[in-house]
Amino acid sequence: MLKLKNVKSCFTPNSIQEAIDIHKKSGGKAVFVGGGLDITVFPNPAIEQLIFLDKLGLTYIRDDVGNIKIGATATITDVTKAPVMQNYLKGKVKIALTELASELLRNQITMGGSIARHHFYSDILPVIYALRGKIMVSDGELVEEFFVDDFYRNDLKVLMETHIVVGVHLNKYDDSFQFGSKRFVRNATDIALLNMAILAQIEEDIIKDVSISVGSRPGPAYRFEQGEAFLRGKKLTKELAEDFESFTKSNVDVTKDMHLCKEYRQHIASIYAKEMLLDFIGGVR
Amino acid sequence: MKDFKHIGTSTDKIDALSLATGQSMFVDDISFPNMLHVKFLYSSYAHAIIEDIDTTLAEKHPGVEMVLTYKNTSRVIHTTAGQGWPEPSPYDTYMFNKKMRYIGDRVAAVAAETEEIAREALKLIKVQYKVLPAVLDMEDAMKDGAPIIHDEPEIKGAYDIKHNLAAHILVKVGDVEKGFAESDVVVEDTFEVPYAQHCPIEPHVTITYLDEYGRIVIRTSTQVPFHVRRIVAQVLDIPVQKIRVIKPRIGGGFGVKQEIILEDVCAYITMKTGKPARALFTREEEFVSSRTRHQMKVNVKIGAKKDGIFNAIRMYVLSNTGAYGTHALTVASNAGSKTLPLYNKAPNVEYIADVVYTNLPIAGAYRGYGATQGYACLEQVVDEVAHKLELTPLEIRKKNHIKSGETSPIFRALGEGREGVTQYMQSCALDELIEKGAKEIGWFEKYGKKTRNGSKVRGIGMSIHMQGSGIPLVDMGAATLKMNEDASFNLMYGGTDLGTGLDTIVTQIVAETLGIKPEQVIVYAADTDLTPFDVGAYASSGTFISGGAVLRAAMKIREQIFEVAKEIFGEYDERDFVLEDGKVTSKKTGKSVTLSEIAYQTLYVKNQHQIAATGSMVSPYSPPPFAAHFVEIEVDEETGIITPIKYVTAVDCGTPLNPELVRGQIIGALVNGLSYALSEEYKFTDSGRMVSSNFMEYRIPSTRDIPEIVPIVVRTYEPTGPYGAKSVAEININGPIPAIGNALYDALGVRVHKVPYIPERVLEAIRSKK
Amino acid sequence: MKVCYSVNGKKKEFEIKAGEVLLDVLRRNGYFEVKGNCYMGTCGACTVLIDGLPYTSCTMLAAKVDGSEITTIKGIGTLQKPHPLQKAFVEKGAVQCGFCTPGIILVAYALLKNNPDPTDDDIKKMLDGNLCRCTGYVQQIEAVKLAAKMLKKGDE
Ligand SMILES: Cc1cc2nc3c(=O)[nH]c(=O)nc-3n(C[C@H](O)[C@H](O)[C@H](O)COP(=O)(O)OP(=O)(O)OC[C@H]3O[C@@H](n4cnc5c(N)ncnc54)[C@H](O)[C@@H]3O)c2cc1C
Ligand code: FES
Ligand code: FES
Repeated sequence: MLKLKNVKSCFTPNSIQEAIDIHKKSGGKAVFVGGGLDITVFPNPAIEQLIFLDKLGLTYIRDDVGNIKIGATATITDVTKAPVMQNYLKGKVKIALTELASELLRNQITMGGSIARHHFYSDILPVIYALRGKIMVSDGELVEEFFVDDFYRNDLKVLMETHIVVGVHLNKYDDSFQFGSKRFVRNATDIALLNMAILAQIEEDIIKDVSISVGSRPGPAYRFEQGEAFLRGKKLTKELAEDFESFTKSNVDVTKDMHLCKEYRQHIASIYAKEMLLDFIGGVR
Repeated sequence: MKDFKHIGTSTDKIDALSLATGQSMFVDDISFPNMLHVKFLYSSYAHAIIEDIDTTLAEKHPGVEMVLTYKNTSRVIHTTAGQGWPEPSPYDTYMFNKKMRYIGDRVAAVAAETEEIAREALKLIKVQYKVLPAVLDMEDAMKDGAPIIHDEPEIKGAYDIKHNLAAHILVKVGDVEKGFAESDVVVEDTFEVPYAQHCPIEPHVTITYLDEYGRIVIRTSTQVPFHVRRIVAQVLDIPVQKIRVIKPRIGGGFGVKQEIILEDVCAYITMKTGKPARALFTREEEFVSSRTRHQMKVNVKIGAKKDGIFNAIRMYVLSNTGAYGTHALTVASNAGSKTLPLYNKAPNVEYIADVVYTNLPIAGAYRGYGATQGYACLEQVVDEVAHKLELTPLEIRKKNHIKSGETSPIFRALGEGREGVTQYMQSCALDELIEKGAKEIGWFEKYGKKTRNGSKVRGIGMSIHMQGSGIPLVDMGAATLKMNEDASFNLMYGGTDLGTGLDTIVTQIVAETLGIKPEQVIVYAADTDLTPFDVGAYASSGTFISGGAVLRAAMKIREQIFEVAKEIFGEYDERDFVLEDGKVTSKKTGKSVTLSEIAYQTLYVKNQHQIAATGSMVSPYSPPPFAAHFVEIEVDEETGIITPIKYVTAVDCGTPLNPELVRGQIIGALVNGLSYALSEEYKFTDSGRMVSSNFMEYRIPSTRDIPEIVPIVVRTYEPTGPYGAKSVAEININGPIPAIGNALYDALGVRVHKVPYIPERVLEAIRSKK
Repeated sequence: MKVCYSVNGKKKEFEIKAGEVLLDVLRRNGYFEVKGNCYMGTCGACTVLIDGLPYTSCTMLAAKVDGSEITTIKGIGTLQKPHPLQKAFVEKGAVQCGFCTPGIILVAYALLKNNPDPTDDDIKKMLDGNLCRCTGYVQQIEAVKLAAKMLKKGDE
């Protein structure tokens, strides 16, 4: 089955500058290819040129001071296998990433491809949101850094005309931070219908800081800021977890589709919220 | 139990290594020069009439060979159901038609040099539809004044087209109303079992070409090569003689390939153009335009006496056959005939079924064949009766299930769309199955305990089942064996191995009968030119019917070999002979001759002839295999998520001819049943468009979804089957829905009346209880 | 356009269309042992190893992997000289229709290269992208474990 009928040429540039030049010249007819999963499964007939990013040296996962730096063409498998990820937030980020999709697809899906399209396949973005990742983009000369929330406030279509995603930086967090993530799937390799991740800093039972993300396809993932505000500064107790359950139920924003109604998604999000907090209590003590 | 050499051992599957090394050829693994590629245009309306169709542009498109529509193809009414003749399914289908009956109905086909060109050309076809009101609901379909889906005059064999009834069944034994009145408890419940697809990983695919005599060769992924030949001949109005059907390796079927879908179109194109033609379904087409499981609403009412013995059972089935009535009557028959005899103690039994047409995808044969739907309800209602009488699920079943030596009037009253054949159970290990399964799951420690871990509660449930082995006095299979110099044997038989391992089992049967090794049997199967007839792979008939035919052929060969040995030994009584280790030995005289010597002698030396024989098998018996299923689940009260923890299935399939293959059949069916119970769903829009038509949306299980599975095989000996065997392929798909339903009740005291048991529904049930 | 792969150890040039996926290129060139149908990365029947890692060839752009080493099921063992995995799949009854088998064995092959002693859980995680509708997976998992044992004993 010929997927991309109108593609006439392929490029494998050796520099970001070159990649962006090709893209600019194409008049909107070229696409960057990370893993190429999205591009082949949902082919766009308007595409005439493919720009492979494999030779840009962006397939790395670096253990830096204060940051884990992940290159755009690193795949999910690369990330989950990287030594630095094994104990990062007690290995929980790694687990979140190994659970999604399937081995074959984890080998193909790149971080860049997951970030550059803010689409409904929401498993990876909630993790990056909760971790307050920084998205690094470059126009070939300068590297700009966006806090993940700000990144998606851009008109991506416009930004991606002149930039590519070069990577994502994840803060390293000390032991006062805990991470949890949950996904609602119909069976194991399903693309989650709802998922949620929480990163919380807990000192002496007080939630010092927290970020919470929610994804519910087909809607885009987002930061559940109301929920964060609700929790911030409170004492982490069983009661709080229960209060937060009902808070989440009435305040979380989710979408619906043919598979799952809104009401159930809100319900499941609230249960997940509670469960993760309860896990944190266990983790603290 | 008899001692066997090859029967009961796990001989390697004869094609397994070839498949595992990528050598085997499936239908699509060959290509011909000048081959045409066929693509279809489908109706975008659930119910409509094509007022006009303009194919001029498509025909002119470079690379297009021909465009097929109702205007230029033969109009022969037929059924696509690959069943024995005369088919019990209504004749309601044409190769192409003006009338469109569901979104996915065939409007036109394009044959072109490449798939791409064919696809492009489809876009150039202009169709003018007159849209009609559609019926998408089973109950609505039967109402007076509902739009009539089959209003063409040629339709034959449907029950009542004015009420969209493809079939109707009413079978009565005794008097159920009186039976209920005289019962101490009466319980009634209804369960809805949904659409589902077989999802063979290889979809439907057909390649046709002309042989050197101008006959049409159809190389196709089918379960029913001989029915393909007959029905294509019918549709194309050419003699059977002009067609050869070949079934190479097949990538799974599960019932969906018991259907003539692509073969008629490809054959027609090849006939008209002289060129090879290839049609291959996409996954989406496989979901929408092939066949599905019949959606059913099943109501069961059971009346029982205080002691737990059933006094009356009534089952009512409302079945949705979709746009066409393939297997409409027979699947509905089986929902009763493969379930009700299990509880033969009830003197009063009534079975009623209405099978309706709707403007939805076409149902067909699917592993379990109605029994799956019947058991989904029956086995939960049986538990409900037990609860009312304060009996355990094990007790109530032990009191009521059929036993060795017994029969049920249903066997005779309800056959495959006609009267059936009385069956007496000659092998039935149900009691032992229940006992062993219960022990393995830890029934006595766990049942009713509702062990809790936070919001998660454990529950266990069980169900029992039977199926059949072929259709009695209907299914026929035949096999031919001939002997070669090295005491190898060519076995040509019509049996259709879809991956089940039938081709291996038959080598074991021949080897056992002729005292040779299975490797000495060269199997060639399912080629209408070269092998004798066989109805094909359905109704759990493979081992029993096709295997039975092979046994008969082998027995005849045995006799012929003994005849020659008599001559050589100068002896007269074959009762003195043993056929073992490749030779005939006389116990009386100690004389011995190898099979190879016999072959040389008969082929070259003396009294020359070919040692060869054909055996046919048709049987008044259809011995049911039995199974007892046990499952432990964990259900989260807060989310409604059900997680199966452990699944035990105890099975009596007579002699397991090849234990490893038997295990594969048990687990394969079970895992399919599990995901049917929990996650597989057809989603439709309000206009009747099926929208979960790929593996992203329609979820079938992966390695990460399976619980611990423990198959237990209890060996019995079925005297009517080859070397004591009964069937095993279908039965185990029937358990998960009722067993999980019963486990859910054990855990939380609720029932979910609509399958699959998705978390939302489970949660709703939990809430409405509170 | 032209690309060059080494398929099962043999270097070859292939004429491809720029927007084509690897599955189509391989099948068009007679590598029929690579199955496939869903074209969405959802069934795994089209699995091949690309430089040793398993991918769904239906979602892999053929041009992207120019210069790679591609391994199909025929590259790890043959009818005459099967790989222990292939033998183990036969022995354990893990092959029914066999349509999924090439893909599954290739993934298992990649697994055993890195993890000669996998647990059930390792195997389940690794094989989760390869759908099999016939077997229910149990015997396949057993076969991978058996092959691991055979490999350890040096049964090549
Ligand atoms: C069957 C299937 C299952 C899936 N399951 C899951 C799942 O469980 N969980 C989940 O989260 N997702 C899932 N996905 C979605 C998958 O994560 C996305 O399709 C992802 O975009 C694929 O990454 P890629 O690198 O292959 O993307 P590509 O196809 O390469 O690219 C996607 C888009 O991003 C652009 N792009 C890629 N890299 C860059 C870059 N560096 N800079 C700028 N633009 C770039 C491309 O031009 C394209 O528009 C699934 C997809 C499929 C088809
Ligand atoms: S064809 Fe590639 S995953 Fe299904
Ligand atoms: S063996 Fe048939 S799909 Fe796996």
